Amino acid sequence: MAVSSPCGDPALVDLVRAVQRADSALAMLHATQALANSGHPDAAPHLVEVLGFNNPGAAVAAVDGLIALGHGAVEPILTGLDCHNYGARAWAVRALAGIGDVRGLEVLEEALATDIGPSVRRAAARGLGRLDLTPLPQEVRLSVSERCLVALEQGCGDGEWVVRYAVVVGLESLVPALHPEAERLQRARRALGGLGDPRAEEALVVRLRAAQALERIDGPGATAAAGSEHTHG
Amino acid sequence: MDASGDSLPSAGNPGNGDPISEEEALRRLRQSDDPSAQYYGAWWLGRNRSRHPEAVPLLREALRQRRPRDPGAGVEENAVARNAARALGKLGDSAVAAIPDLLAALEDEDHGLREAAARALGELRALEAVEPLRRRLASGPAVAGALQPGSPRLQEPCEALLEALGDIGASDPALVAVIRPFVDHERPLIRSAACRALLQLTGEPQWGQQLVQLLQHPQLQVRRAALMDLGAVGWRPALEPIAATLAENSLKLIALRGLAESDGDQPVAAGAHPQASPAEAMGHGAVLAAMDALL
Repeated sequence: MAVSSPCGDPALVDLVRAVQRADSALAMLHATQALANSGHPDAAPHLVEVLGFNNPGAAVAAVDGLIALGHGAVEPILTGLDCHNYGARAWAVRALAGIGDVRGLEVLEEALATDIGPSVRRAAARGLGRLDLTPLPQEVRLSVSERCLVALEQGCGDGEWVVRYAVVVGLESLVPALHPEAERLQRARRALGGLGDPRAEEALVVRLRAAQALERIDGPGATAAAGSEHTHG
Repeated sequence: MDASGDSLPSAGNPGNGDPISEEEALRRLRQSDDPSAQYYGAWWLGRNRSRHPEAVPLLREALRQRRPRDPGAGVEENAVARNAARALGKLGDSAVAAIPDLLAALEDEDHGLREAAARALGELRALEAVEPLRRRLASGPAVAGALQPGSPRLQEPCEALLEALGDIGASDPALVAVIRPFVDHERPLIRSAACRALLQLTGEPQWGQQLVQLLQHPQLQVRRAALMDLGAVGWRPALEPIAATLAENSLKLIALRGLAESDGDQPVAAGAHPQASPAEAMGHGAVLAAMDALL
């Protein structure tokens, strides 16, 4: 990817130049932090470029910066998605999950279903539970939350405990968007019940978190069984 | 490429990645013409925690088919034996029958095989391994913990031996006395393993505090090890330091899982430590909240 040239604001020009000229991992980290902290709306495409530099520290700073920029960063992230650079794509999924803009839905669905990295699927599951649906018309809100619910229901079968943990957190935070439909709430409860069941879920921490989620949804006492069997393994 | 800190299975190269069935894994381990297929079969059975009745007998056999090391031989039999030991450690109660074979492997000349056997014996909580493990460490950091000439290895696989003793958890003063000098070993990873074992065996908070200090170590590798060690013990007072450590969220989540799943009233909290810290008093909820924030 060609390194784009900044235009306009001279303060931004300097910050972007510092990123482009960084000659060590540490210099790159500091330059990225400075660019991210600027909060400049035009910083987004330059932060997206940093995601592809194979510098985890700088990528974390860039993701934080993109999340702080919020909805304005979504278009540059989607435009910059690079199918050939797995690392860059993984960081982009995390940024989209953190921003919670509904335009990221498709990327998050695909990441949870197919990404090879557990940490990417984990971020996607978390993100699918907290898309911001408030600006959407009622019927769109319904279809988007349905897609999130389906994706998370399927995520219950993930092979990694940490992804299933994130699915629990995603389902819990999706619940307000499912109200007041009893049928869809019931599906979320059923999914959480499965992840809280010691016969079906081997990771105690997932069962504990599922029990907590159900308790928050339905009040205490609803799921006494879920976390009770204490096993190591 | 691994921007996100995921640990991919260290299956080695042979056949890595192609999904196979349990039957196929058993078949690969059963044949003996192709050690690299055996290597993968052994790994698969451990990774998938096979309950098949043939798994443990075949792994025991693989553990016995070792020979003096021959570095030119590609995937040699000892590599299969090492993977068999690792797999047995993951099979829980059904692998108890293999404990005598693992004890024999603990006396092998192959350093890597001793290491794998020690870890497996720790995972199986094999009480009969305490004495042989202790004996391997008894000469102390100056002998067992000395560098092998011309190699980055120590004379004994100290980290694995220490961790196994802590995991088995049979505490007695003589054992603690053998472990204790290793908290001053020159290698921070050995110090971390020794503190972990002592925290598990004695519950004394000073060892947990030393692990928490290692979370600030300049080397990422050391911070990672201290995270895993605190998670393995499930020491609740480490909650906030773990969450604040400069390391991948994936590893912090694994460590915090250990805290969430520990009773909170194990020897560590009930023992020598009169003033319970706030993190202990908070219980699971605080740990889960910290985990949620790292997703």
